[in-house]
Amino acid sequence: MIYGDKKTKVLVQGATGNQGAFHINLMNEYAREVGGFGVVAGVTPGKGGQEVHGVPVYNSVREAMAEHDVTASVLFVPGKVAGDSIMEAAYNGIELVVAITEHIPVHDAMKAIAYAKLNGCSVIGPNCPGTLTPGELKLGIMPAHLSKKGNVGVVSRSGTLTYEVVNELTMKGIGQSSVVGIGGDPVIGQTFVDVVNRFADDGETKAVVLIGEVGGNLEEEGAIAARDAGLSLVTYIAGVSAPPEKRMGHAGAIIAGGEGDAKSKIKRLEALDVTVARKPSDIPVLLREIL
Amino acid sequence: MKLLEYEAKDIYRKYGIPVGFGFVISSPDEIDGRIRDFGDEVVVKAQVDVGGRGKAGGVIIAKTADVREESEKMFAKQIKGVPVEKILLEEKLPIEKEYYVSITIDRSRRENVIIFSSEGGVEIEQTARENPDAIRKIWVSPLLHDIPSFMLRNLLGDAPKELAPVINDLYRVFCENDGILVEINPLVTTSKGVFAADGKFIVDDNALYRLGIEVNRDLTERERRAESCGFSYVELSGQIGVIGNGAGLTMSTLDMIEILGGKAANFLDVGGGAGEDRVCSAVKLVAEMPGVKVIIVNLLGGITRCDEVARGIVKAGVSQQVLVRLAGTNEAEGREILNKNGYKMLPTMDDVVSEAVDACKEAAL
Repeated sequence: MIYGDKKTKVLVQGATGNQGAFHINLMNEYAREVGGFGVVAGVTPGKGGQEVHGVPVYNSVREAMAEHDVTASVLFVPGKVAGDSIMEAAYNGIELVVAITEHIPVHDAMKAIAYAKLNGCSVIGPNCPGTLTPGELKLGIMPAHLSKKGNVGVVSRSGTLTYEVVNELTMKGIGQSSVVGIGGDPVIGQTFVDVVNRFADDGETKAVVLIGEVGGNLEEEGAIAARDAGLSLVTYIAGVSAPPEKRMGHAGAIIAGGEGDAKSKIKRLEALDVTVARKPSDIPVLLREIL
Repeated sequence: MKLLEYEAKDIYRKYGIPVGFGFVISSPDEIDGRIRDFGDEVVVKAQVDVGGRGKAGGVIIAKTADVREESEKMFAKQIKGVPVEKILLEEKLPIEKEYYVSITIDRSRRENVIIFSSEGGVEIEQTARENPDAIRKIWVSPLLHDIPSFMLRNLLGDAPKELAPVINDLYRVFCENDGILVEINPLVTTSKGVFAADGKFIVDDNALYRLGIEVNRDLTERERRAESCGFSYVELSGQIGVIGNGAGLTMSTLDMIEILGGKAANFLDVGGGAGEDRVCSAVKLVAEMPGVKVIIVNLLGGITRCDEVARGIVKAGVSQQVLVRLAGTNEAEGREILNKNGYKMLPTMDDVVSEAVDACKEAAL
């Protein structure tokens, strides 16, 4: 358990849209399966009084908080308003915001994340699939059936690539303590370092799989944090073949000014004595070797 | 998206950053009657998005009397292969000293970072190699509207304090116009004051809507079409078309192609909830790229419905071989639809990539 457990009560902002409604249902299916609370309230301005899959919808976070003691919020609002929604959650005392939303202007994200931090609120994402602690809690859109309870923590900048790796691990009989998608944008709240530190404090995690990609240097920082915490680590970096100056799907996946390319990232990781997998299917094999 | 120099300077001007007298022309006829405010000399600057523009002949200093002729010559040029459609004519500034300033986002610190160098007019990378002590940096919280004075003092060191307000104005340009990178190189001191002698500005693609920009010029026509379908799409130059869902998985597919000795033709991320029509348009889009011999569809997801994806592939009905890896709900139905229509579905990402690379090698023999 690193971001919550069965007892975590969850809010969804952007509850009445297609995505929000769809995933409220899936999150609550999972909550029923594991015996957790799941999503207890939703917020969509102007839609207060409605219900989505049996979950009451409020006009504002404040109204929802008056009726429910939620501590985490999952965001499905459009990019244009997502910065505002993060700040609304933080202002009202929510401790954790998981921002699924894609295409948030980077200045909005940067401001909202800084504001959230001032208010003691952590932000996962934006542009992320959220987090899953098997047997405890699903916050976001990760397909829970691919996952299996165990002792390997998975942290990644990607969505589907994470599912690919989790699927490979599960098929090889390696379970996961928690899986966290930190998001593909250039500015994100929880970084590899933050998540690795949570893994270190979590009694369940024995080794960490870190899935990074081109752009920035957050992977190297995460690897150092894992080493300092004494956690075994296997990494994989996507984008070895990515050309410079091209945005590879994720706004953050861009090699700019000669920085953040996969090959030099891998070199720096190897210089730290970190195991780097060449392809996703190698990860379970390498993990077996170090465990 | 990258703005051109004159567009960047239009924004600078609005924020009170001095940019020197000048105007932009699309044809030499637009010069008539407008040059009397220049002195003896005019700077003729091609408005092209090309690095090292000056060295490539995109910037010249002309006698004011010859400016029409020089502009005609410039319009006839290609700067590193880019045709010149607009020219900025500017007064020649009496430069005393050149400085460098840029603002970007520090991803690790999640703050704006301002980089200043007392050696302007050269690329910052070169200064970083040859004289790193000339470079100073400050980090400013995104919650601050202005740069605190003490930070500006630290940033400037011995440089003239007249630069400080200009740098603060540039910070506002950056924050209030969704900047990814803003750079003035050189920022110059003259007998008439401080001027931005050049201007570079890259804006956030996610914020174009509020900057009033409708068309992202950095994209090719096909990339724009893909964007309007909601795809992330990048054109490359190989023979293997790639369609995936999720940026990471798609990138990883491209990497495996390279590791196995193949070359990808493109990157296409169809995004979440890939239904029949989206998959169909994605396959068609990739198939129309010249040189594509085989197409990989690699989709994985809890909510991706394999039967819908399969129908989309069949509906596209392209002439190239399509190799499919699907994992999600209704896998068996999806496989049946594909097999019945002569398409091959493979169990893993490794399988689909190695088969595609082999198919290309065979085609080359």
